[in-house]
Amino acid sequence: MDFEAVRARLNLHAVLPNLEDVVRFDAEMAALVERARITIQFSVRGGPTAFVRFADGACTVGRGPGAGAKVNLWFTSPAHLNKMFDGKANPIPLWGFHKLGFLTKQFTQLTDRMAHYLKPTDELLQDPAYLALNTRLTLNTAAFAVPDLLAYDPEAMKFRHTFTSGSVALKVLPDGPSVGLLLGPDQIRAVKGDIENPSALIAMRSLEIANAFLNGKMDTFAAVAKGDVEIWGQLPKVDELALVLDRIPKYLS
Amino acid sequence: MQTYTYTRSQDLFERAAKVIPCGIYGHFSPAPLVPPTSYPFFAARAQGSHFFDVDGNEFIDYMCAYGPMVLGYNDPVVDEAMIKQLHEGNTMTAPAPVMVDLAEYLVDLVPVADWAFFAKNGGDMTNFATMIARAATGRAKIVAIEGGYHGVAAWMQGSGHYGVVDEDTRNMIRIPWNDAAAFERALAENPGQIAGFIATPYHHPTFVDSALPADGYWQRIEQLCRAQGVVLISDDVRCGFRIDLRGSHEHFGFKPDLVCFCKAIGNGHPISALVGSAALKDDAAKVFHTGSYWCQAAPMAAALACLKELVRIDSPRVTQAFGTKLCDGLTAVAESHGYHLKVTGMRSMPFLRLTDDESGMLHQRFCSECTRRGAYFTSHHNWFISTAHTDDDLTRTLEIADEAFKALEGGR
Repeated sequence: MDFEAVRARLNLHAVLPNLEDVVRFDAEMAALVERARITIQFSVRGGPTAFVRFADGACTVGRGPGAGAKVNLWFTSPAHLNKMFDGKANPIPLWGFHKLGFLTKQFTQLTDRMAHYLKPTDELLQDPAYLALNTRLTLNTAAFAVPDLLAYDPEAMKFRHTFTSGSVALKVLPDGPSVGLLLGPDQIRAVKGDIENPSALIAMRSLEIANAFLNGKMDTFAAVAKGDVEIWGQLPKVDELALVLDRIPKYLS
Repeated sequence: MQTYTYTRSQDLFERAAKVIPCGIYGHFSPAPLVPPTSYPFFAARAQGSHFFDVDGNEFIDYMCAYGPMVLGYNDPVVDEAMIKQLHEGNTMTAPAPVMVDLAEYLVDLVPVADWAFFAKNGGDMTNFATMIARAATGRAKIVAIEGGYHGVAAWMQGSGHYGVVDEDTRNMIRIPWNDAAAFERALAENPGQIAGFIATPYHHPTFVDSALPADGYWQRIEQLCRAQGVVLISDDVRCGFRIDLRGSHEHFGFKPDLVCFCKAIGNGHPISALVGSAALKDDAAKVFHTGSYWCQAAPMAAALACLKELVRIDSPRVTQAFGTKLCDGLTAVAESHGYHLKVTGMRSMPFLRLTDDESGMLHQRFCSECTRRGAYFTSHHNWFISTAHTDDDLTRTLEIADEAFKALEGGR
């Protein structure tokens, strides 16, 4: 699979799900979509599909077709989708024109806010609330990128055999956020929140440490040695997960 | 029982991390020690079967410097020979006579050996062995075992790892351990292309159980190599002189063309060796392979003294016996607490694992609790037994294990 196709998958499956958390943890954004009841379908010719659903004040992002979608955003190619995520192109609404108001106002505000949280600066990270949400979104993006990287990235695919059973948990101490990877021979699934009895655990001692760790701003070996980042369980999974996660900047930097 | 703290180790690591990649690199990295905060990072001194860290904590050492220490730290016979040679001349413009003495001794000791060649590390020898195989056969491909470790050169590592490109491993064929049929298939699929078969005498990867050769496995591999003109290489770097002083292949009943030694050959002094059959001597001579310190005389004197001591005390018998007592004792202590400790591999370098938890976290906690009480156990790697381990060490180790299991019980 070519670069644009893998990148499109990561944008839809790893970046887009962060909308859920922006709505959940940013009060202004929660208020913005509080009364929205709409499902938006993302369709890419020769590429992945995903949907974003707003209902009952919550946002849900899922893979594949979304039942009852009122709006379908069509992209002529994976590269077209990627350009939209870069802010350099617009989708083609195939149907749901009566909902264009929501798309151009609330939904655009929401995606802009997500982009804001995903582009940290040293100054922004001084704000504890920003730090917390940026860390959460970065953790989500990392975990949700893994299934597609292992399936489609030529380098990461070399390690697929390590991830055929068990699970890996990534957790920020003391109170989260956390994500998990549920591993199987045919499918790997990323989930938000704690998972029971993981085969391997990566636990980061604080939000500050997690943020620096996830953004490659610290000596990871030193962090592990000092106990700032604890690694337990099946270490080969962790070692090879690091190799997989190192592929993310190639697509999403 | 008092548990250790590692303030000075941690402080030193802080300094190290600023000027050394990883702080401590390679197999001494704290990364696989779980949790690293339960382990010392820097050793101050060592004696016999014990080492002392920079915080003054004393450990019964079951890693033996990851294998090299076999007679005990500071063995007087080995060190006296080394120091005598050091004073006479070490790194000189020409090799010292001890190089010939050592080669003759190895050729006498190892039945398949008609010649010997010396370097520094195990990887020097596994690399040299594959080059000789290629030179001798005119073929490119090497068959190795999945998960088998032969050093750190790019071809020895997996494609996709840092610094390794696909071209580095293009001529490597990895097959499962104990699967002679897989070797047959590799030969059939690569007719006239396989130069060598390299494997450890038994499979001892990290993180998972060790596996002894199945009945007839090595004999079938040897038979296939002979039939197809493939050079058979025994990577005896880790096992060498802990199973059979004639080479571990003698214990398992096969005759390799090349045998790589390191680890225990010099009791901690830097030297490795490749020995081989007469048929490959000319090819070994033609392959250019050297290093700045490969002819150092003092480590050769140490190795010669070490080998003679190993023979004198029949070290494999001693280390196997102690390892058996240790493993049996630990298994019994585990059972007394309701845990199940699985032992695999040869008892002179056993791999242990608590099977009560698939993730390995319980075993990691057990090893760390033992280490914090003075029995240095790693959870990811086979341990090593030396001839310096004593019955007092054993008694103390079992007491420590008992305390460690009690410490675990709160977290069950």
